[in-house]
Amino acid sequence: MSGDGSGKSSSEQGRRTFGASQDIVVYTENGAVDAMGFKRMVDGISLQMMRRTEQRWALVCNDTLWFAVGFLALSQAGKMIILPQTNQLSSVQAAHADAILTDQPTHFGSAVTLDITQEPGVDAHGSVKLDEKLNIELYTSGTTGRPKRVDKLLGQLHAEVMELEQKWGSMLGDAVVVATVPHHHLYGLLFRFLWPWWMRRPIYAPTCTQPFMLRESARRFGRCAVVSSPAFLTRVNDYSVFQAVHAYAGVFTSGAPLPQETAVGLAAELGQAVIEVYGSTETGGIAWRARGHDTDDMSWQPFASVQTEISASDCCVPGRLLVCSPWTWRREWVDTGDLAQRHLHERFLLCGRADNILKVEDKRASLAEMEERLAAHELVNEARMVILEGKRVSVGAVVVLSAMGHVQIAQDGVQAVRALLIKMLRDCYDPVLVPRKWRFVPTIPGNSMGKIERAQLQALFTEEC
Amino acid sequence: MHFKTSFRNKSPIMNPLIDELKQLIINALDLEGVTPADIDSHAPLFGDGLGLDSIDALELGVAIQKRYHINLDATSSETRQHFHSVDNLAKFILMRQKN
Repeated sequence: MSGDGSGKSSSEQGRRTFGASQDIVVYTENGAVDAMGFKRMVDGISLQMMRRTEQRWALVCNDTLWFAVGFLALSQAGKMIILPQTNQLSSVQAAHADAILTDQPTHFGSAVTLDITQEPGVDAHGSVKLDEKLNIELYTSGTTGRPKRVDKLLGQLHAEVMELEQKWGSMLGDAVVVATVPHHHLYGLLFRFLWPWWMRRPIYAPTCTQPFMLRESARRFGRCAVVSSPAFLTRVNDYSVFQAVHAYAGVFTSGAPLPQETAVGLAAELGQAVIEVYGSTETGGIAWRARGHDTDDMSWQPFASVQTEISASDCCVPGRLLVCSPWTWRREWVDTGDLAQRHLHERFLLCGRADNILKVEDKRASLAEMEERLAAHELVNEARMVILEGKRVSVGAVVVLSAMGHVQIAQDGVQAVRALLIKMLRDCYDPVLVPRKWRFVPTIPGNSMGKIERAQLQALFTEEC
Repeated sequence: MHFKTSFRNKSPIMNPLIDELKQLIINALDLEGVTPADIDSHAPLFGDGLGLDSIDALELGVAIQKRYHINLDATSSETRQHFHSVDNLAKFILMRQKN
């Protein structure tokens, strides 16, 4: 795996040679780490790792510099890399790692941890060596509420990066890669870390959590590529953060479709269309689209190496979208669970889900599963969840309390019971999915799971309560 | 439900600003069943405290910029600090308004 993007022969796969030792690999908030310094850090941790007997390491770093160093050091030492779904203790525990490599060692109680920030760098010869057979274990929200494990080989991630580079490499040039999304989910792992690292583009380590931070980065670095999401881009209400038009080499978004209005508004401000990438942790990247100001074409173009099939007998009706690519596990066909319809040539339109999985602010949610989990609580008899559309999309919970629940609410009040249930759900779900509005009712309105009931449930949240 | 702020803050402008910020947080983030008195000025807004999430952080940044006409131009670690609690936010806004 070479870093020069020139498509090296397979004998050179597995290593990335750094460029000039003074080339910047990572920009930090106030400084920068050059290739030589970065390699010293990687080799230092790697040496420690080789002395350790633990094989399965969870990599949990807030800072992308430490994440990058940890990832490469673990790869180099031949350890299995586990990327838990969140940095919270519960998701790290769910991944059953032997030990945790982290930049925040005090968060993990009695677990075996290694503080990545405390390891001295070492000078070693040669380049960072990576094994393309190395296994990386990612976790996604899945559809069950429990983190779902997805395995990737480093070689598969490399294949995907090479495709991205072929498509957009020349457009990005030497831009600094700036991100608003975390590095431990597949999209961030590829777009904000592996792609720039393999192709020698500098990485900006801090995550831009506010729109103004993009403007600051553009001012500091000149040309930037932005790795973002609909949840972020729809909230950039002042597009002047993108004013330095020429500073943006490209803006990427993934996680959910970008609303048309945001796509068009941003395209006008940037002078170029935002690139939307469609994919999932299970499938990796599937397709892309770039909607300019003059188009209402909603169709997606599959990546060159991705085969797609739609499981419908008639091309005029939507069917389940199946994909197969060099980066799906064992090159097997994967059912995305999304409904699609064939458009021109291999392009397709997305037409919602085949199951009852919904997206809430780019995060997958199974309402039925959340209902079951809530109903299993001793204070609850029955529960229904609804999606509430407003300034933000959120989940609302309608709850019928158990006898014990009634006693508790009489004793401690609604707030306390609500807080208890929220706490229980927070341990299992992304914070964005935890219900923000609660209604405690004597019975669930309606008696079927049909549309009427959903409408009645929705109504509970529009009335003043 | 703590009222620590009223004892800790000596500046006379701080308390009205803190109350105003709590109301702004409740309105901007559409927090149901939360009153200003429920928000501890010193407790973390994100994570274990009020339990706000990443979307709230974005919405709050936008709301504060709109309401106080201040330019947020801190680095990310400074911003994390400013957004840590209501008290920190109030201090940050006061500092910005003076400049």
